[in-house]
Amino acid sequence: MPIQLSQEVVSLINDKGAFKALATVDESGTPNVVQNDSIYVAENGNIHYLELLETSRTNHNLVRAIWFDRKVSIVVSGADQKSFQIKGKAIEVHITGPLYEKHYVEIRQRLGDVDLSGVWVIQPEEVIDENFTNRKNEEETKRPFFRHLDRLAKV
Amino acid sequence: MSLALKQTYERELSFDEVVAKYPEVPRLIIVKIDVQRRGVHYTDTALSVVDPKIHLVRDTGTRELFGGRAQEKKSLPISLLLRDGTSVITSPTPLEQNPYLVDLVNGRLALVDNDEVIEYVELWRRPRYYDLKTSSGIPMSHVLSARPQRLSLTLSNYCHFWTKNQGCLYCDSNRDSKQLKKEIGIPRVKPQDISETVREALKEPGRFSTFCITSGSILAGNELFDKEVDTYIEALQAIGENFKTKKFPSQMVATAFNEKQLQRLYDETGIMSYTSDLEVLNEERFSWICPGKAENVGYQGWKQRVIRALDIFGRGNVSSGFVGGVELAKPYGFIREDEALRSTLEEAESLAESGVPAFFVVWVPRAGSPFHDQQSPSLDYFVQLASGLHQLRVKYGLTVDFDDYRRCGNHPDTDLSRLL
Repeated sequence: MPIQLSQEVVSLINDKGAFKALATVDESGTPNVVQNDSIYVAENGNIHYLELLETSRTNHNLVRAIWFDRKVSIVVSGADQKSFQIKGKAIEVHITGPLYEKHYVEIRQRLGDVDLSGVWVIQPEEVIDENFTNRKNEEETKRPFFRHLDRLAKV
Repeated sequence: MSLALKQTYERELSFDEVVAKYPEVPRLIIVKIDVQRRGVHYTDTALSVVDPKIHLVRDTGTRELFGGRAQEKKSLPISLLLRDGTSVITSPTPLEQNPYLVDLVNGRLALVDNDEVIEYVELWRRPRYYDLKTSSGIPMSHVLSARPQRLSLTLSNYCHFWTKNQGCLYCDSNRDSKQLKKEIGIPRVKPQDISETVREALKEPGRFSTFCITSGSILAGNELFDKEVDTYIEALQAIGENFKTKKFPSQMVATAFNEKQLQRLYDETGIMSYTSDLEVLNEERFSWICPGKAENVGYQGWKQRVIRALDIFGRGNVSSGFVGGVELAKPYGFIREDEALRSTLEEAESLAESGVPAFFVVWVPRAGSPFHDQQSPSLDYFVQLASGLHQLRVKYGLTVDFDDYRRCGNHPDTDLSRLL
């Protein structure tokens, strides 16, 4: 089910200094992860991913995702150990039209003589807080057995 | 709906049954095939959001090679885009022929069948150069037509095979040629008109990724088709003036030329790929359905000319198209779909072994063609055909970059090949 991203996640994804990566799977289920700075949250809350290469593994996997209803995953990390994983669905790709042209012009201004294969639209379905401290605290609270005894020993 | 038509559809697998039968074929491509096969009807509500200033609508002045299924000429949207970027080139179809509806649902255009939303769709957008005229006063929309990512130049709708009443039996290009002349008197475009229009089209960033040039066959010349070759060279040189490289992404869909003619085209212009359509992948049916091609070149001669084009254009830059389904036309076509499919894929494999990918358009009986009262084969047939052709490309390592989902959009099998 589609969800709305929190303002914190939106701000981090739209932060130019944040680390962002997109994971997809191929025909046989083998994962493929690429770091990419061209991931944004649009006004309607969907995530836009700019794919520059028609033949990239990511592009092929996104085509498979939209054709065969497979999920994709995005990880974003910023300052203060903030990190989120967003799982979602590729629901649309713009290969022409106003949104495509806007990004075509912008990406060429930013990177020079490059092409743009498409603007993929990813609908968020789940957000996981990947901040390690938060995850550690969560696990130790909810699953207290998952700890080695020596960590609890009197020194 | 006539009783005969209704009975035929009832014998076929439904859309949902075909989708379930072929889980390896994307549902979106099956949607495309079925919409092409059955056509569309735009509801008045849908038409209320069509804006000719924004969207590409059927303009009687736009040069397209073929007409449609309906006799009626209205300013309707030219075609549709699916959410995966797949184009659906389809024609308005009378309601009694059971087309899909394009309706407005929740404020968006949607393909609707039996009151169910099948997919939301977008309309093709009008390029900016359509608002301009050449220095000779011709509207640029009459010089080059546009698809979502393709510029198209149709040099002439008139096919000279028809002068001896030997046109292809599924084709209506001459009817449209006469209509264009009669209705709006479109003048023959000159190289300068072409060059000026290309120059304006290229000002729109990211709007076009290829150029397609085509024409009705011209038999005249010292050698057969020499005049047609001269016409292409003149136009391609005018187009080429606008590029900084000699070669530019482009496709010529033309008659089967001899090697000397192809060499001239390759050497004297920027053309990068060559398609010459066999139309029917079976010699016996070809001779019946394409009498002009059969008499002037012959099936084997046409096939060999296409294969020899590889020596000039190179592997990956030559192809041959056919009208998928017309091999089942009555009365001399295949009787059974399984026989037609086996025969067609065997012949496509013969081409693929030589390095030539074959691709198809969905046969739509056109109102102005001799086959106007016939019926397309089943959805199941077309899905197997698309899948079979794609598998041949996988098997023989063939690509069709110049004629794929983006650069053409009219072939379900090359839509599948966007993963190659």
